Amino acid sequence: MQIDPATLILFGWILNSTLQVGTPLVLAGLGGMFSERSGIVNIALEGIMLMGAFAAVAVTYFTDNPWIGVLGAVISGLLLAAIHAIVCVKLKGNHIVSGTGILLFAAGFTTLMLFVIWGTRGTSPGVTALPEIYLPGIGFLSPLIFITFALIPICWFVLYRTPFGLRLRAAGEDPSTLDTAGISVERYRIYGVLLSGMFAAVGGAQMSIGFGSWFGKGMTSGAGFIALAAMIFGNWNPIGILIAGLFFGFTTGLNYALQIAPGFEWLIGVGNFIQMIPYVAVILALGIIRRSVPPKAIAIPYIKEKEI
Amino acid sequence: MTEETPTQDVFDIESEEASSGGFSVFFKGLYAQFLGFFRWPNLRRGLIQVGWAIMSIILAVFATSLIMLATGYDPFIAFRTLAFGAASQADLIFWYGTPLIFTGLSVALAFQAGLFNIGAEGQLYMGSMAATIVGFMILLPPVIHPFLALLIGFLVGGLWALIPGLLKAYRGAHEVVTTMMMTFIAVLLTQWLSAGPLQEPGQVQPQAQTPLIFLTAEIAKMFGSSFLNWGFVIGILTVIGVWILLRNTVLGYEMRAVGKNETAAQAAGINPKKMIVISLFISGCLAGLAGAVEILGYYHRFRDGWSAGIGFDGITVAVLGANNPIGVLLGAIFFGFLRAGAIPMQTLGGVPAEMVDVIQGLVVLFVAAPKLVQWLARKGIGWAKWIVEEPIRTVPIFLGSIFALIGGISSLAIGANMVGALVQAGLIGDIFTLILTDPFIAMYVGIATLAVIIGVISLLAFYGLMTTQKLSSIALLPAAIIWIIIGYVTMVLLGGTMLIPLSVFGVLGIIFSIWSFILLYRQGVTFVEVKTDAN
Repeated sequence: MQIDPATLILFGWILNSTLQVGTPLVLAGLGGMFSERSGIVNIALEGIMLMGAFAAVAVTYFTDNPWIGVLGAVISGLLLAAIHAIVCVKLKGNHIVSGTGILLFAAGFTTLMLFVIWGTRGTSPGVTALPEIYLPGIGFLSPLIFITFALIPICWFVLYRTPFGLRLRAAGEDPSTLDTAGISVERYRIYGVLLSGMFAAVGGAQMSIGFGSWFGKGMTSGAGFIALAAMIFGNWNPIGILIAGLFFGFTTGLNYALQIAPGFEWLIGVGNFIQMIPYVAVILALGIIRRSVPPKAIAIPYIKEKEI
Repeated sequence: MTEETPTQDVFDIESEEASSGGFSVFFKGLYAQFLGFFRWPNLRRGLIQVGWAIMSIILAVFATSLIMLATGYDPFIAFRTLAFGAASQADLIFWYGTPLIFTGLSVALAFQAGLFNIGAEGQLYMGSMAATIVGFMILLPPVIHPFLALLIGFLVGGLWALIPGLLKAYRGAHEVVTTMMMTFIAVLLTQWLSAGPLQEPGQVQPQAQTPLIFLTAEIAKMFGSSFLNWGFVIGILTVIGVWILLRNTVLGYEMRAVGKNETAAQAAGINPKKMIVISLFISGCLAGLAGAVEILGYYHRFRDGWSAGIGFDGITVAVLGANNPIGVLLGAIFFGFLRAGAIPMQTLGGVPAEMVDVIQGLVVLFVAAPKLVQWLARKGIGWAKWIVEEPIRTVPIFLGSIFALIGGISSLAIGANMVGALVQAGLIGDIFTLILTDPFIAMYVGIATLAVIIGVISLLAFYGLMTTQKLSSIALLPAAIIWIIIGYVTMVLLGGTMLIPLSVFGVLGIIFSIWSFILLYRQGVTFVEVKTDAN
């Protein structure tokens, strides 16, 4: 059987963009998983990703080392997540409202700093990207993709096979039992939110210095929400999130590939509908295929009976 | 229909009367509601909410000032150009505010029913597209035409939210994710429509816009303004309508009951699923109306990406307005004020307009933490305890400490700048000989040192006021006077622009230091044990 080389190249291209676009979704989805498993809704993922993307570029711009940039992204993500943790866990504020505040703050702050640092309104100048790794047939891939794949079994193990994971899950499922066992619910919820901040920020770094080398205003454009959807689609489970995130990446990759592939010119007119596929898929998946079962104590602040 | 109220404090007598049915009872209830609005407990609750919103705005302005100082902008110039710029074109404030009233109401109404409609943006796009189609495809007489366009926009927006509502009620799909997905779909769909089948003839491909609507469909402008239109009045009417719906109808009562406690509502005979669907539908309708009013009132055609986040700003407005229709109206006007002032701030003050987005995000964050002060009080922070106990008397001390912080950071910044200039000029090496020989350099170094010392003293005064130490109010007074002197001298010496901000902070610092001095010494601060409510 003879395979047309053009088809093979197209296939490699789709696979490449699936991995490149899907990885941030997987990373942010994993972050959302840690947060929601501990009982805190983290709608700020989008904002944390944006901040991570920005911090990665800004730190790389000043240090000229993209790995320090990734570190900067992690720190920025931790800071934003810490705000969310204080508001939600310590002050028992509304998770959604706090997340929205962080979202808006991150959008405004990154745009502002874009102007302050580089004096531009749209995009930053190019910086050194992460060193890419070549895979035959697929092409150049960001190292964060391999890290993500390595993280999936680690996350699974931590969540299901360690005391830490058990306590984290207990904080989200049945906090009063965890409290009765003498373990601080608040502490594990804070751990969950901080982890989510780290993961989402690295996802943002993948978007800015992973498959690109610059930061653009509002460049995440809803990736955080798609990551949340991937998390629900993946049933709050690392392996499910990997599959869901890559599926959403695949639809985007398909769209890119079809627009440049010969013989698909007629698809440009309906490119918008191809772009809709992931969104429609989420709605179908959530609404029609099966009911999602979130952690039981999600979005409920845990308050001890006596607190002085 | 009479229900056992699941919670006591929100459901007052009037609404129960209203929900007992009957047309005259409805109006009696409305009248009682109107009177009840001015009754002290209700008024007090409203005032506390307004007070907290204003407090959040002050905190956000304060935090933004710090960000501006850190990024090298002058906060005083920024806020002055913002305020004067907005005030000089008051019609812009209300014009920017108009769509935010609708989207704010949309989000607030869903919040009241326990739902988070994050996708108002998508419903707005669909509503505006539907209104545009009615506007340029159908010929109708003047008054009927805009009315029909508004109605269609209203309904299409509602239908766009109906899908997430049905999925939420019957399949348990979380509305935050589904409404967001519906927003992406709406943006892509309207983009395709305006660049494809409905594109204005003669436009080249990238320009995605529809033809202009007919003149008969337009909403007239108000007061000769070229922006403000009668859509603002529609907005105010909608505020009143939503208020009546939520407070004086059975439907509104049941929606709020589901939002408060779904199980209790179900036990009282309310169908929560039905209420979820209806609430999201009405919420979507309001967002669709926002789009329709904007198209008919100002844009007159659908252009891809015209909204730029009005739907998302609705969330912020709803949060700021505490999900109360009147609060939403005030919040929308406040945001209109920020938006109207953003451009003058950029052109006249040289501060990027995006600073306004930072203020918005911070306002929401501060509103999100209404227990901040209580938490600090529980942690043993003196001023927080005192604010919980005696809010009115403590505010001057609190404000004084804020001015101490800003003034302290400003004078530290001046000192650092001056030392930096010395280092840059290469004079720092033999500074001691230069001080002895050159009187100008000596004065310069003296002022820099003074600025740093005063900065440190101000920061100490800030800490002292926060912990209500009597001495700190005395320390603030000379510090504030020296701020003014430093501002003046640096202006003469270096031509700096710190005179106005420093003198304003200085005068306010003097006022508040004397005020807090009197308060601190007259009252003999003894903290009462703060009542902490565990809920």
